[in-house]
Parts: sequence; C-alpha cells; structure tokens
Amino acid sequence: MSESQAPAVVLGGPSDDPGGIDTIRQLRQSLERAAELSKALEEDLEKGPPVIEEPKSSDELDVLKRRLDESEKDRAELVTQMIEAEHQAGRLMNLYVATYQLHANLDPGEVQNTIAEIARDLLGAERFVLILKDDDGTRCEVALASGFDEGDAGPYSGSHYEGGDALVDQTLADGVLRLAANGEQDAEALAAVPLRVEETTVGALAILSLVSHRVTPLSDDRDILDLIAAHAASALFAARVCSDADSKVRTLESLVKLTRGH
Amino acid sequence: MEGAALDAQGSQNKVLIVEDSKLVHRMYDLMLTQYTLVHCTDGLDAMQKLGDHPDADLILLDLNMPRMSGLEFLKTIKKDPVFSQIPVVIVSTEGKEEDTNRGLEAGAAGYVTKPFQREDILEAVQNTMGAQAG
Repeated sequence: MSESQAPAVVLGGPSDDPGGIDTIRQLRQSLERAAELSKALEEDLEKGPPVIEEPKSSDELDVLKRRLDESEKDRAELVTQMIEAEHQAGRLMNLYVATYQLHANLDPGEVQNTIAEIARDLLGAERFVLILKDDDGTRCEVALASGFDEGDAGPYSGSHYEGGDALVDQTLADGVLRLAANGEQDAEALAAVPLRVEETTVGALAILSLVSHRVTPLSDDRDILDLIAAHAASALFAARVCSDADSKVRTLESLVKLTRGH
Repeated sequence: MEGAALDAQGSQNKVLIVEDSKLVHRMYDLMLTQYTLVHCTDGLDAMQKLGDHPDADLILLDLNMPRMSGLEFLKTIKKDPVFSQIPVVIVSTEGKEEDTNRGLEAGAAGYVTKPFQREDILEAVQNTMGAQAG
C-alpha cells in the first residue's frame, strides 16, 4: 500500500462520544432552556394583556422599550433553542436507527446491506466502497462497491484492494478516521472510516463522492461516521462468527446422522 | 406530544411506504408516529398491499427498488381508477432536476431527496394531505 502522507483532516481514533452522550446532554440542556423560556412566556400570558397607558415620561418609554427588546430577544432565543433541539433530536434518531439496524441481524450479508444503507440514506454517499481485511490481515477484500460505472472503480475495481488511495491506506494502517482536505494528493476518497473491533482495524469504509444535492460537508455527520467506526465491524464480526458456528453445527449434525445411520 | 393525524371520518391517516431499505422503514416508524403505516418492500409488494388498503391517504415512494421500480409503480397506479387519486410523494437519493421532473410528470404530488430530516418528511406529508383535503 502507498506510504505517502496525504494532508487530511484527522479526526482522532476511537470515538470520544460513541453513545452520543454529549449529544444527549446538549439536547437535554436545549430542552431545559426551551422549557424555562416557555414557562416565562406562559406566566406573562397568564397575567393577561398588558394595560396600555399613555407613557408619562421619556424614562417610562425607555423602560418599555427595554422590556420589549428583552421579550424579542427571549423569543428569538426560544426559536433558536427549539430549532437546535429539533436538530439534535434528528441526529439522535439517525444514530438510534443506524445502531438498531446494525445489530438487528446476524446474517453477514444483511449487516453489509445495512452499512450500505447508512452510507447511502443517512450520509448521502453516492460512490463508496467497503473494504475488509482477511483473517491474517495481509490482504484487503472489496466486500462492496456501490455507485460506480463499469470500469470506473479505479483501485477498487478488482475483488481485492491493493492500495493506491493514500487516505484509505493510512486509515487501514492506523485505524484513524480521516476526512479529505481540499487539494489532497494521491487520494480520491472524501472520507476513510475505519472499521474497528476493540483496538484492531479490520477494514474501512471509503466514501468517494456524495449525492449532488447534499450541500453540507461530511464533517457535519461526525456522529454517524463515529458510529460506523465503532459498531459496523463488531456487528459484522458477530454475524460472521454466528454464521460460521451455524455452519459447523450443521456439519456436525450431518456427521452424527451419518454415524447413527451406520 | 403530537396527536394522531385523523381523516374526515376521524380515523388515523394511513400512509403506504414503498421502500427497499429496512433502515428507512425504521426511520419512518419513528418520524411518522401519528399515522398508520403500511410497509412495502418494492413496487410489486405495494401493488398487492394496495388491494388490502385501498383507503391509503398517501404513498411515500422510493425510486430504485428491485422487481418493480418506483416509476413503474407510479405509472401503473395512475392508470388505475381506484388508486389514481391517492397522492404520491417520491423520496429518493436521485435529486437532479431531471429526476424530479420525471417523477412529477409521471404524476407524483411531491419530491423529497435523501438524506432527509424529519421536518422534510412531515412537511411533505402534511402539505400533500392538506392539498388533497382542500
């Protein structure tokens, strides 16, 4: 694999917030602040409409103006907090759905499908590749390549990935999540997401392009990228172990039947 | 808490989901809790389930699906006198202008691109049902 060092945005090793704890904390704070503001507004409403009197002096006018400004500020803050809370709730919902689906199945093919669905439907990935190391970690299998035209997959076109994209090569080597910076040399991928089981990197998800209507950068979806890094490999690993065990049990059952038959 | 969305007869509005991604089905379950959802995995499955649910108030339709694509399904139901009045909103990763136009020309009432947020879907569902009721 290429050893060239590509300038990338390195986003750290294992997730700092794999369970979305910070997100939940932020959401709770937003909701508490929204509730406080909402309560204050309700109390104001309960007092009834303000009695409008002719202001007697410029001082009174100043006081009224100040109160109006404060109310406007509170209202604007409430709207901002509500939008933020809605946004956080959406992010949590995406994280929940992705985690749920990853661990909902013990069929390796279905788990791979789920990884593809997360990339396509939650991240808006147009072209992406799932790369898995073999058992001794020497070769990398292209387990899934999606969105490529025929003959357009470059280093991902064969059944094995031999290296060639600096961002992906570095991530496969050190298990660090990377996002491409502008003008990256020797790197086509926009993001290289490691797939880790405990401290071992067993593969990577390389995202090569996003759908054209996605306007926000991938860094906005750091939560989901972290989730893939932390959960996709373990879900895949569990499914493969289960599948292998199931196959062994069936073989043993066949042997027992044969033995008893004789 | 949001109340259930009710139709003119006071029963919960029914939305038919035609989508091959299990992940997206799960998202709809969480996002559209105030509606009765009927889940279908592709166009053919949806044709069968429409027979059992001709009272569907709305169809959310993916385009890229196995067996029968979203556009094939849309063209088929628009020819059917029983189902042609059910409004269809396309929800797809294909977001170019020509994709949107193709869907709308085939009879879709709206178009939402993936990835979507909860408010995008709720807005599309409510606007489309509101327009239908009006």
